[in-house]
Amino acid sequence: MQLPDAMDAPAEPSGLIAAAVHGDISAFEQLYRQFSPRVYALCLRLTGQREAAEDCTQESFVAAWRALAGFERRSRFSTWLHRIAVHAVLARRRGLRVRYEVEEPASGLPDMADPAGGAPALDLERAIARLPEGARHVLVLVGIYGFSHSEAAESLGIAEGTCKAQLHRARGLLCAALGLEEA
Amino acid sequence: MKELPAKSLDDEIAALRLDIQPPRNLWPGIAGRLHRSSSRTRPMALAAAAALAGACVAGTISWAVLQGRAARPPAQASVRAAPQAAARTADFDEPSTPRYVAARDSLEVSFRERLALLDPATRARIEASLAVIRHAHEDIRKALAADPASPVLEQLWQSTWHDELDLYERVVRSTQPTVTRT
Repeated sequence: MQLPDAMDAPAEPSGLIAAAVHGDISAFEQLYRQFSPRVYALCLRLTGQREAAEDCTQESFVAAWRALAGFERRSRFSTWLHRIAVHAVLARRRGLRVRYEVEEPASGLPDMADPAGGAPALDLERAIARLPEGARHVLVLVGIYGFSHSEAAESLGIAEGTCKAQLHRARGLLCAALGLEEA
Repeated sequence: MKELPAKSLDDEIAALRLDIQPPRNLWPGIAGRLHRSSSRTRPMALAAAAALAGACVAGTISWAVLQGRAARPPAQASVRAAPQAAARTADFDEPSTPRYVAARDSLEVSFRERLALLDPATRARIEASLAVIRHAHEDIRKALAADPASPVLEQLWQSTWHDELDLYERVVRSTQPTVTRT
């Protein structure tokens, strides 16, 4: 599977990060402005529910603020933040059982035109939202946000082999849902 | 069955939009919690963030205590009223740094927005509680001018603006969209 580079974000905002590490909330707010769309999108795709995604986004940034002093820059800030977001989603899932099937699973996803004329992106988004949770989590992290299998497995607390199996399952289910032949 | 003509499913997945703008501004809720978090805030903001039990209860207690103090003979209070009293009360004032004020104002805006969504009876109770807190705040300010060394007044003074922030935070938090807990 050809992975996207999830870290293709703009240059690392080192100045803002350094200021935030020293307690500058206005710098942290700028980091929020820059990174919240991606964190929100990640949470939305993992939870499948807008309200839960908003809550997890807020939790992620509060947790990031508290943990900033320990950010050692061994990874990019976005990578570090995405892992916190995944943790926030999983922590919420442990405490709450969200009725994904009752509510519109793709609520909050914007209408997106497909530039290449293939399967409409919105259909694909909806099909992803309807995947079983384990398969969806792996597909979102690996397929969309470019986590490696080892990173995704570690973030989700599963074995790497399970991660690969879930991705294979997700692809099969998506092909079936979209009426496509598996490659 | 059909095949994707130009792009594989993997390519389609990889081409999905990575960013989705949150439908509402989530920052005020985050900022309010940052000021309440522990070691990363300035000392006074930290004090402001200290959670106190029940804004309404604390406000009412403050008010009740002050009513007792108000009954004290005026002469006793005036003896202690010294020029340094004003400076002393100023020491207790709420933080006024731009960052703190901005975050506090932002929280108050969220509070006002959420308050407007509540039913009239609940809104009236909250407004009444806020009025009690603010009334107590002013009473304590005056009492501190007369008795600047009182640790009880000092605590009450701090508690009232803690109470106000706590009330804002609780209203904002309690009106957050929730997911069914099962």
